[in-house]
Amino acid sequence: MKDFAPPADALPPPTVSEARLLSVLDTAADGIIVIDEHARILIFNKACERMFGVAASEAVGQNVKLVMPTEYARQHDTYVGSYIRTGVKKIIGIGREVQGRHADGTVFPLELSVGEAATPEGRQFIGILRDLRPRKESEQRLADLQSELVHLARVSAIDEMGAAIAHELNQPLTALMLYLQAIRRAHSRGIDIVTVVGDILDKAANEAERAGHIIQRMRQFVEKRDPERHVRPLDPLIDEAIDLTLLGQRHRIRIDRKTGENLPPVSVDPVQIQQIVVNLVRNAIEAASGMPDPAIEIRTRASDGSVRLEVQDNGPGIAPEALPKLFEAFASSKRRGMGLGLAISRTIAQNHGGDLLVDPGGNGRGACFSLVLPAASMPGEVG
Amino acid sequence: MRVHVVEDDAGVSDSLALILRNIGHTVISHRDAESLFKGSVPEAPDAVIVDLSLPGIPGAQLVRWLLNLAAPPRVVVITGQSQGFIDHQLRGLVPDGVMRKPLDVDAIARVLPPH
Repeated sequence: MKDFAPPADALPPPTVSEARLLSVLDTAADGIIVIDEHARILIFNKACERMFGVAASEAVGQNVKLVMPTEYARQHDTYVGSYIRTGVKKIIGIGREVQGRHADGTVFPLELSVGEAATPEGRQFIGILRDLRPRKESEQRLADLQSELVHLARVSAIDEMGAAIAHELNQPLTALMLYLQAIRRAHSRGIDIVTVVGDILDKAANEAERAGHIIQRMRQFVEKRDPERHVRPLDPLIDEAIDLTLLGQRHRIRIDRKTGENLPPVSVDPVQIQQIVVNLVRNAIEAASGMPDPAIEIRTRASDGSVRLEVQDNGPGIAPEALPKLFEAFASSKRRGMGLGLAISRTIAQNHGGDLLVDPGGNGRGACFSLVLPAASMPGEVG
Repeated sequence: MRVHVVEDDAGVSDSLALILRNIGHTVISHRDAESLFKGSVPEAPDAVIVDLSLPGIPGAQLVRWLLNLAAPPRVVVITGQSQGFIDHQLRGLVPDGVMRKPLDVDAIARVLPPH
């Protein structure tokens, strides 16, 4: 749609120095548009031709609305008029993100900075434009990669727990099978089991349900989903994550759980936060497992505007030489796993506006990891 | 035959007791090795079914203790763990049977036949 008025009068051909200027502008990587007080395009460089799919010969003389999406275009005349009348600068000398429109109708983000020049022909405005799509794309790609990696670390954690989880599933399956076989056996021998069969079937159904719960819990954890935010109390999330970590965990370990009182809720991606908890608790169990009386303490408390989760083990502490690389990916000292756990956990914490800190302990003290999350401002939906 | 079952998982323990009684055995259930020690010492011709992954005293340690008794009972290990874990736990121990979970009644009846 081109509802632009043709130029009131044809522009005179460029002079020699103007021609030189134009050739310089054409070599610029950024789009450059010069307009007059009536928003008519005076200069439209090569970069603009590529950016908007409009030839300079066609653009020059038209209203600059030509390269704007309709809703911007409508207001642009008002902006120019208001500036010329009041002198109040909305964009000149400031620069900001605006939208441009390609000849094919595509609307895309642009960074626009505008300068002003007084010329014998009146005021002119010089706009320098940069297509923001490549930057936005790489930002998006980075975000996608990061969420991919966060998911991968969860899958890897479940993978490492695979044998333990198989064992955990084996329990209800064993019980289920034996209940059913007991009925089958009695039946095939003509033993009268009418009085007990209902009871046995109930138990069998409970065991099947138990197996289902284990799978459900795992599936929630590994399923790939878009990041989300919910205002939640932290403690129930932590308890669920501890349960998941202890699935089939056969280290004989004492777990001391202390919950803080009147903790404010936090605004979090629940599964990602549970991912941190699973990681910290697994690490703590591993660190303590070599001790004669292995124990870990998991506590929550409020501390100035934030909620803290502390996971303390009674292991040997973290060696000073391991400390600098502790939060680096692929720098694990462990035999199993990818060494992503702490790196990812800290990234998740920081994406939530919080952090993951460590007190390395040593000299008879175990390590203590603290997850700090900002308290949610609004007391919102719970559950 | 009197069969002791040392298994901490309530569902497994209950269903195992049911099937063993079904086969014709007398069953005494314990949730860990410690509670087995509190009762009378099992001896031949009793049998003891031991889950390898017990809370507290490990299953393998209980198996060793039972096999070293003067009149050792039949000892049957049950486990849901991997073969690697089993081999590692049972180094040098030869119980009368090792059954991997999920268990089935035929396997149980073979190792602990009804009389």
